[in-house]
Amino acid sequence: MFVDTVIEDKSLHKPAFLLGLSIAVLAFFFTFNFTDTIFGEFLSPVIGNPEESGFFGRLVVSFVLAIIFVLNLLLISFAKLKIQILIVWIELFFLFLAFAYSFDLELAYIFIGEPSKIWLMISKGLFTTIYISAVSIAIATAIAIVGAIAKLSNNGFAYAIASFYTSLFRGLPLLLQIYLIYMGLPQLGFMIDAIPSGIAALSLCYGAYMTEIFRAGIQSIPKGQWEASRALGFKFGLILRKIILPQSIPIIVPPTGNQFIAMLKDSSLVSVLGIWELMFMAKKIGSKDFNNLEMLLTAAMIYWALTIILEIIQARIERKYQQKA
Amino acid sequence: MSIKLGFTKSIAFAVALLSLNMTVQAGAVYDYIKTNNELMIATDANWAPYSYINDAGEMEGFDVDVGREIAKRMGVEARFITPSWDIITSGNWNMRWDVSVGSMTPTETRSEVLNFPAVYYYTPAGFAVHIDSPVTTLAGLNGKNICTTAASTWEMYLEGSLDMIDAPAFTYKVTPGTITSLADGHTCLDDTRLGAGVRNDGIIDSIPMIQGAIEDGYPIRFLGDPAFFEPLSVATDKGNDDPELDAEIVRIIADMNKDYTLTMLSMKWFKNADGSSNDYTVAF
Repeated sequence: MFVDTVIEDKSLHKPAFLLGLSIAVLAFFFTFNFTDTIFGEFLSPVIGNPEESGFFGRLVVSFVLAIIFVLNLLLISFAKLKIQILIVWIELFFLFLAFAYSFDLELAYIFIGEPSKIWLMISKGLFTTIYISAVSIAIATAIAIVGAIAKLSNNGFAYAIASFYTSLFRGLPLLLQIYLIYMGLPQLGFMIDAIPSGIAALSLCYGAYMTEIFRAGIQSIPKGQWEASRALGFKFGLILRKIILPQSIPIIVPPTGNQFIAMLKDSSLVSVLGIWELMFMAKKIGSKDFNNLEMLLTAAMIYWALTIILEIIQARIERKYQQKA
Repeated sequence: MSIKLGFTKSIAFAVALLSLNMTVQAGAVYDYIKTNNELMIATDANWAPYSYINDAGEMEGFDVDVGREIAKRMGVEARFITPSWDIITSGNWNMRWDVSVGSMTPTETRSEVLNFPAVYYYTPAGFAVHIDSPVTTLAGLNGKNICTTAASTWEMYLEGSLDMIDAPAFTYKVTPGTITSLADGHTCLDDTRLGAGVRNDGIIDSIPMIQGAIEDGYPIRFLGDPAFFEPLSVATDKGNDDPELDAEIVRIIADMNKDYTLTMLSMKWFKNADGSSNDYTVAF
């Protein structure tokens, strides 16, 4: 966002706003009765047995919760920006944990056994997931560069093939493409195994999306750049490599990073082919002991951790290009 | 702005695709197994106690033991492949795997794409409901919402279109109002756990599997007698028909029946709540 030089007082430090907020929060906590939860138990010295406390208990519990909530906001508002962000992240994370904890699950299940279930998932599933995603990302990027150049060309065949490709592969659900490639290609005599089929489907699908991103990135470079390079006598390949692509990369990087993150998660779809990757392991390991949700939560955490790593890498690359510009 | 791409370059890719060898690999599957010294067995990894991933992260279960024994008697190594159930039943394996030892019931529909050389055991299928369910008889489930695995014999039973081959006689005892077919039958159990009538009113599944869920603390109970007994067979691909392989499987299963290997495996894997074992190699 643009840098604003007008700095207003924080609304949290205005008494009227604070009062209004407190009332709203109090109303919220009062509407969703929290008396039966751990908070009610915690306040039982004041309100007695939570189940019999009635209106008084409900009011006390919601009042205390509202005070804690508003005080928390007020205290955070005095911290520096970076500390604020950190605290809010940690608080939201603990809220998420509490949410998962409230499922009434046997969370210890994830860590029991020798080797433990979580280690089983990491050792057997994580590598395959990373391997499939990394290979697909590399192939998709190559397809996207060729596709983007073809879509920008004035050669009718190249344009027709590239636009047909993007239209087809953006138009079909990825799961359907996985089935089509795995079950359809052998009918034509191309016998490919589960992992190559999965990689082919992911690369072709994301190659189509990234073709459009690359095309838009190249097109966003002003026409004058091409004309000036031509006037200096450069050949097409050299112009693209040395002048156009270096300028379009900072524009291409953010949406491409998004695609990488999306692909990492969509690699879970190849589990239908029986590939032992994260999602497959999550679904199958828990099923023997009927602890499905525990393992799915574990997989969720691992996917999340992986995407956080990708987000950090993406942010670094973006910063690097910003500095250059 | 325009980018030039040579005409020859742009069609080279298309020509390359067309000129590739397009013949289907055909021939004796059994020779292929012998040459590779490996029997590739497809089985679902989601069905304790039939076939599942154990605590060490390896395949285990009744079907897995039977598959290993078949490979051993062929004199080759066993390798397990775990595609989803609907991919196995849809046929056209194209030699991705050689046989399915995955408790598959021979039906008329499936036999259009698959061969069923040898039945190796029978398993009872039954209904279960939440323990708080008001339903007490099978007739009570008529018009209700029943959950089961997609593309399974249980689904066919609910639809009234179960066309099993060489199966013990049975009657349709339940006419459901709605059939909820899920790709993963385990999700049905989790839905039932939520309460009677929340997401479904009952499920139909194999009795050993429901037994396992009950032992694991699921709040469900059996409803009535077993609905039907289904024969379960080794399957091979009709698209790559190989009479030699089928004959070899028939011989091996007959041997395993004769020397009680199958009975022993059945007793090992199918236990009742009281600890007694079941011999499912004979039809009831």
